[in-house]
Amino acid sequence: MSAQTTASVAGSSYDYEPTLECRDVSVYYGGIKAVDGITLGLRPGEVSGILGPNGSGKSTLLGAVTRMVKLTRGQVLFQGKNYSSVGPGKVIGLGISRTFQTVRLLPDRSVYDNIILSTDVVCRGERDQVEDFVRSAIARTGLEGYEGLRPSELSYGVQRRVEIARAIAAQPKLLLLDEPTAGMNKNERAEIGALLRSLQAEGLTQLLVEHDVAMMVDTCDYLYAMNFGSLIAEGAPEDVVREPAVQEAYLGKHGRHHA
Amino acid sequence: MMDWLSGYEVLFQLTLSLTLLALSLQIPLRMGVVSFASVGYFAIGGYTTAILVVHSGWSTWPAVVAGTVIAGVIAYLLGLGIAHLNGLYLAMATVSFSMILSVVAVNGGSLTGGPIGLFGVMGDATTWHFFIIVILVIIAISFTERGRLSRRFDAIREDPQLASAMGINVVRYRRLSFLISGAIGGLAGSMSVLMKTTISPESIGFGLIVLALTVIIVGGQGSWVGAVVGSVFFLWMPQTLDFVGTWEAVLYGLIVAVAAIYLPGGVVAVYKNWRYRRYVAHRNATLPEAVGASQGGE
Repeated sequence: MSAQTTASVAGSSYDYEPTLECRDVSVYYGGIKAVDGITLGLRPGEVSGILGPNGSGKSTLLGAVTRMVKLTRGQVLFQGKNYSSVGPGKVIGLGISRTFQTVRLLPDRSVYDNIILSTDVVCRGERDQVEDFVRSAIARTGLEGYEGLRPSELSYGVQRRVEIARAIAAQPKLLLLDEPTAGMNKNERAEIGALLRSLQAEGLTQLLVEHDVAMMVDTCDYLYAMNFGSLIAEGAPEDVVREPAVQEAYLGKHGRHHA
Repeated sequence: MMDWLSGYEVLFQLTLSLTLLALSLQIPLRMGVVSFASVGYFAIGGYTTAILVVHSGWSTWPAVVAGTVIAGVIAYLLGLGIAHLNGLYLAMATVSFSMILSVVAVNGGSLTGGPIGLFGVMGDATTWHFFIIVILVIIAISFTERGRLSRRFDAIREDPQLASAMGINVVRYRRLSFLISGAIGGLAGSMSVLMKTTISPESIGFGLIVLALTVIIVGGQGSWVGAVVGSVFFLWMPQTLDFVGTWEAVLYGLIVAVAAIYLPGGVVAVYKNWRYRRYVAHRNATLPEAVGASQGGE
């Protein structure tokens, strides 16, 4: 637990304004504490990661941040503003976009239509710009030439890139990625890693949720580790993965000695 | 043309009201709401207009507006109550709603004319008025089939959670679908009763739900074209299929079954998919290197 230096719940104890801040966020389902007292603050412009084994509560935390899951306790703040009580449909309008654990594209729609979907509501006052937003998202994710095709025509890796394009077309200030490389081969992983890096170079704050340790160490600037609904470590990725508590969560008590 | 049409005027009127009824069923379906309440709205619109004309001596158009508005309002209230239900439960609740209304019509005493219904609903509306109204409804609906509205409908139907994450207020759209469906269904009932000059509980029974549904299955649920194609098909085919005689019912069952199994999007989807395949073939012929496709798993 030594790397855990969580901020105090009462006020902002960060020397920066966190893009996303969670204060004592808890989600209980009956007696099950899926997420229990998570406090964290994402540094603007960084790629942060939440690492944890399956069932550790990271997807529930993402659900809480995107307001799809009701908070039992605590607050979520975006750029200092408490949005704990807004509905899931308002989150994208705040500037928070997300991708999902599984590919969720409209099957009978072209790549272009799937991407423009995210701008429909958000960019209401900027109709003329919507086209530019979509074109730019297509260019940044390397999807030129695929615009007219339907998802079934694309490889899995390309489908995931369409999802990222859809998320960034809404001009978010924070991008949440739920296991963006799940089920991908090595080359596709590397491509996604490079894509996320290039988005970071543009200054986009990102939060990745993953259980793939190597990918997280490669991609993230800052890492949180979760188990049983709580943070068990945070800090620089190389340090976090060496934490005994993290090794234990991944390999079990005995595995640590062999590792 | 006019002479020919006058011979088929009743059939033409039936086609118009079935088209409207199918459109009323289609709007919620396009947002993933499997609702069979359209027949109930049809009954509300029809009986409202009939009662106002026969008992209260209203003139035609105010009675049509009243039938449309009242059906829309009741549909909206129904939506507030049951729009959160899913799939089969919503379907059953809406079937019950339609069934309850036909029971009400039977037991409505002199107001609804009981099991015999109401007669002599005479108005000024002609088939051409009806035709123009259907065209206007179709034009309005066609606007929801292009651009951002159509994308939103698709998202709400295919993946409501995704739609919500895209900032679409799914609940509001679904409730709105009840309102629109109710108004169109009510309008269909109003116009139908004025054309036929009569309405009875028998004419708003389960058979009408099945007919409207088969229209959508064969024509297609995604577009107004499906409602028109399906209605024309089911009402005009008997004219040309006289020769099959008693086998007609079997042939119909077969057509619906084949459509449900092999044409999940109806006739309209066949055309759309054909156009898309042509596009893909053309694209692959012109840029063969850009396709990194199809070998990946789903």
